[in-house]
Amino acid sequence: MNQFNVWRTVFIVGAALGFGLCVILLTSQEPGVAVHAFFVGPFSNTYFFGNLLASAIPLVLTGVAACVSFSASVFNLGLEGQVYLGSFLGVFLAWRFETFPPIVLYPFVFSIVFCCSGLLAALSGYLKIKRNVNTLISSLLISYIAIYLVDALIETVFIDPNAGMAATPYFSDRFLFAKLLPPSDLHAGLFLALIFTFSLYLVMKKSVFGFEIALTGKNPTFARYTGISVSKILMLSMFLSGGFAGMAGMIDIFGIHGRMIRGFSNGYGWNGIAVALIARNQPLWAIPSALFFAYLENAANVGALLSDITPEIARTIQATIFFTVTAETLFSFVRKKKGGEAWKPSSTASSR
Amino acid sequence: METFINGIIPMMTPILFAALGGLFTHLSGLLNIGLEGMMLLSAFFSIYAADLTHNLLIGFLAGIGISVLLALLMGVLSLNLRANIFVVGLGVNLFANGFTVMLASLFFDSKGTIFFQNLPRLAYLEIPFIHQIPYLGSVLSGYRLLDYLAIGAVFLCAFILYKTPYGYHLRAVGKDSKAAQNAGISVYRHRMRALVLSGVFSGLGGCALSLPLQTFVGGMTNGRGWIALVAVILGRGNPIGVFYASLIFGSASALANWLQASVSMSPKLLMALPFLITLLFLVVKKNKLEEGVGR
Repeated sequence: MNQFNVWRTVFIVGAALGFGLCVILLTSQEPGVAVHAFFVGPFSNTYFFGNLLASAIPLVLTGVAACVSFSASVFNLGLEGQVYLGSFLGVFLAWRFETFPPIVLYPFVFSIVFCCSGLLAALSGYLKIKRNVNTLISSLLISYIAIYLVDALIETVFIDPNAGMAATPYFSDRFLFAKLLPPSDLHAGLFLALIFTFSLYLVMKKSVFGFEIALTGKNPTFARYTGISVSKILMLSMFLSGGFAGMAGMIDIFGIHGRMIRGFSNGYGWNGIAVALIARNQPLWAIPSALFFAYLENAANVGALLSDITPEIARTIQATIFFTVTAETLFSFVRKKKGGEAWKPSSTASSR
Repeated sequence: METFINGIIPMMTPILFAALGGLFTHLSGLLNIGLEGMMLLSAFFSIYAADLTHNLLIGFLAGIGISVLLALLMGVLSLNLRANIFVVGLGVNLFANGFTVMLASLFFDSKGTIFFQNLPRLAYLEIPFIHQIPYLGSVLSGYRLLDYLAIGAVFLCAFILYKTPYGYHLRAVGKDSKAAQNAGISVYRHRMRALVLSGVFSGLGGCALSLPLQTFVGGMTNGRGWIALVAVILGRGNPIGVFYASLIFGSASALANWLQASVSMSPKLLMALPFLITLLFLVVKKNKLEEGVGR
């Protein structure tokens, strides 16, 4: 990230927080308490802070998932469905093989989930290559189909009648990740997320494959002339992207929920896109960016708990980030040359 | 069975309105993801304004107004500030989702279903003569004004798009924006107008969702904006095609409702259907392979 982008990011974050402040001041009956709860609350004790870190874990992973596909200039919009399918598969396998010791089960389940979610995403890449179906649209459609199918399974075959909501029974709690900061939700999946992010960073920045992805993303025609198989890169980047999304859901399930709950992942995929956009497709920057998103979510929750604001404030603030993050000429008065590096103008959205 | 058949048109109306809105942006070369959010915001504001003033017309205007406002915001961000329209659209959906629930809990102290009892009801209209035809009469007549308006809008859109210079220019902008620009057609103006029109129609779609039910629930659009977008693609960017696609999706929703009431089966499988149909359509349809990809 160059200096210009850093300032730009600071502005976007500042604008979002400023907007949040305005909303709180306008809607709260006790603005002082609410503002304090919102801005300081999540850091005030280990419980809130642990929850903040815990909710950043899936966002880091969906964020890097979006980074991979965006770097190759393919739009994986099926993150939401890939997260959901991955989570469900994880739960299902944890039941099927409940006699396995955790140390054997984890690598086994993780690789299956990674592959299945990855293949779900790669299907869009395949359709693009073979039938020239717009990846953006096909991944979205496939994702919705996957979500509804998994929902149908949760609601009928796998439902726990005693749960009082659409959720499956719990799997053996031997498989749950260790808690790091009890009583908060923070779990050992944090390290997994960091390892995954860092390895992806190495792949993207230090390997030939990563270079090929970046080249294809910047200029596919040129990439083709240098002998890179654009189709292969397209498929692989979709596969990796889907795989990471699947991991995001699964780690959340194994860390916190211990069962599949309908709609538990609401927004992980969409927010992952925003995380990647703030991070400007740099995997390591996805970490602070996801922390910021998680902070907004948790700040609103803490504010709702300690004061009278509604947790939905978080979504309106996050929306302002979506509004400003890709605006290329927002700062044209600062610098005439365009600042965005890995982002194509709006025409790509309809053409790719 | 009777309830199923009579349920098709009312289920279709909101989808059709939003899809017609999406049609304009689609033809101008933009993919408007924000239909869902525009509908949702309109659904809330229309019923809120109608409840305050006891006037349905003001409700309609408020719904359309807020939706157009959102469309203008999208236009300024994506056309003037050159933000990615897709990401802005996601923002619109997220914003509408949070904002409506926030306002609902602020004004009504409730996050669940809000029921507006004092709202004037939308009248059901029987078309003279036609509703007396045996069997067909009850299928063709006996809907609300809104439903007839939606079907009328299909023909209006077809007229605008194919018989007026505006429609011709709009389609030119979508086909090849550079050529259109060189021919002296303002791409910016046409895309902005298309966004505003999509705001008007999505606004009507939102009104068609909340006003007849006299209720508002957070997230009540429940994916209809996405389905509308899919209807635009399935309808091949032509109003009549969009109408057929919306009719299919309306029937699927009505069928899902009917099955849910009569058989204990998960309606989720049927809800996946519109997306599956569209995907298959996109796969089967003749696509020009992009140069170099596929080798």
